[in-house]
Amino acid sequence: MLAMMRSEWMKIRRSIVWLLVPISPLLALPAGLLGTSATDGAPWQEALALLAVLHAMLFLPLLTCVFAAMVCRYEHLNGGWKQLLALPVSRTSVYAAKLAVILLLLALVQLLFLLALLMVGILGGFAPPIPWGALLSSVLGGWIACLPLAALQLFASTLFQSFAAPVAAGVVFTMPNMLIANSAQYGPYYPWVQPMLAMIPREHMAFGAFGITSGTLLAVIGVSFAAFFLVGWTYFSRKAV
Amino acid sequence: MNSPWMIETKQLTKMLGGKPVVDRVDMLIQKGEIYGFLGPNGAGKTTTIRMLLGLARPSSGHIRLLGKDIRRERLDILRKVGSLVEYPSYYGHLSGYENLEAVRRLLDIPKSRIDEVLAIVRLTKDAKRPVKGYSLGMKQRLGIATALLGSPELLILDEPTNGLDPAGILEIRELIKSLPRSQGVTILISSHLLSEVDQMATRVGIISSGRMIFQDSIARLRKQAKSGIRMRVSEPEQAMRLLHGHGFQAAVESELLAFDDLPDAQIGAMVARLSEHGHLIYRIEESAASLERIFLDMTGTEGSL
Repeated sequence: MLAMMRSEWMKIRRSIVWLLVPISPLLALPAGLLGTSATDGAPWQEALALLAVLHAMLFLPLLTCVFAAMVCRYEHLNGGWKQLLALPVSRTSVYAAKLAVILLLLALVQLLFLLALLMVGILGGFAPPIPWGALLSSVLGGWIACLPLAALQLFASTLFQSFAAPVAAGVVFTMPNMLIANSAQYGPYYPWVQPMLAMIPREHMAFGAFGITSGTLLAVIGVSFAAFFLVGWTYFSRKAV
Repeated sequence: MNSPWMIETKQLTKMLGGKPVVDRVDMLIQKGEIYGFLGPNGAGKTTTIRMLLGLARPSSGHIRLLGKDIRRERLDILRKVGSLVEYPSYYGHLSGYENLEAVRRLLDIPKSRIDEVLAIVRLTKDAKRPVKGYSLGMKQRLGIATALLGSPELLILDEPTNGLDPAGILEIRELIKSLPRSQGVTILISSHLLSEVDQMATRVGIISSGRMIFQDSIARLRKQAKSGIRMRVSEPEQAMRLLHGHGFQAAVESELLAFDDLPDAQIGAMVARLSEHGHLIYRIEESAASLERIFLDMTGTEGSL
């Protein structure tokens, strides 16, 4: 598995994926500086709520789709799969490594987002203390909430022999996020909206699907991740290449 | 484990859409052999090879590579197998060296081996360039380098000269011929052109519409060729009637007397008869059917295979 990861690193190292990683944090920085003020009641929470909306509603699910398609793209393109799978590697480790790369990229995105948030606070002169608990649980929660979507999109990306198809599907399903977040009934079960539900502080959004408790959301995320991973992994293990 | 066969399939079958694409194939390849796997495009060569490598599952039948069952010991087997399937696989955004490095990390072998295989396929100079800028021939050579990386005991090359120009074909053929035979590498090389494997293969298997229709030495394949005797004489029609009168089987084909293969004594007798009757014999030649001809007759395909 370690060898597998090192091989994946070799392939992704020179990929354009690195241009996509800092996009959302780079946009969050000016948006945060312009849209918040140190004189707000709780400026840190205000900034988090403001920046997390765009980041978690749009960028996080879209980036998950793109990353998943990306790690499969260079395998689809010129017969990479058949070369890779004719090597002494188990299909499970190949699939797990692909998922791990997606999750590592997303972790990096979240880390940069946290950094952007901290810079907004520091440059904006927000009063200390920095609410680490709220910030970290939001960033980490957002990352965990990407797990089911990452598994689902990886499945789609191995299923379709193209880069565009799974990304297009991801975009189509991400677009209605704002509407679906309003639905207390369906929202929590919709993989594309889960990052948003997990990232935005509860006290700032008390409507629709945001009414769900963290515990319930975590359970839904856990179960759907397991389900999507199992389906995708089973398909990939039996796939003829 | 003491099986003499590097590749052994039993009744290997692959059904696609209810039709057998590979139909009860028994393939046997001995250690140290260079086995030419021949057949027209779409005959089932690539499907067979994909099953050998565990890339696709057989519908029925068994596969043993290096004496081991591919279903049970796939990873053990693949550690000792190098392959190039159908068209070369590569990561275009990486250099040739990086492509090999991505594979090397999975094989757990020393880095120096990359330089060795690059030298074997003569890509050392271009190793630092992105592969997307390589010519098809260079990509093929990189594919062969990748297959050689793990110092395999068994090399499976599927159509390694596909899509290359004559110079490229020659280059790849020379390369394959130059591979270290002394180390006892067994090579399976597939092609739709007999001429391509003719000069290097020790044994051939011919597949047509999913069925293995011939599997034996090249020499045996040549024997299957109907050789015959052609004779150019002054008056072929009369000569033929004369010979018929003496109990010889003869025919006229495009102004030439044509016979099945005959022992020397009979030919001598015929020549004597013809001379006696004033026929002038300009030349007598043996006509061995080309391997291409035999191949075409066997696979029942005309023109381009």
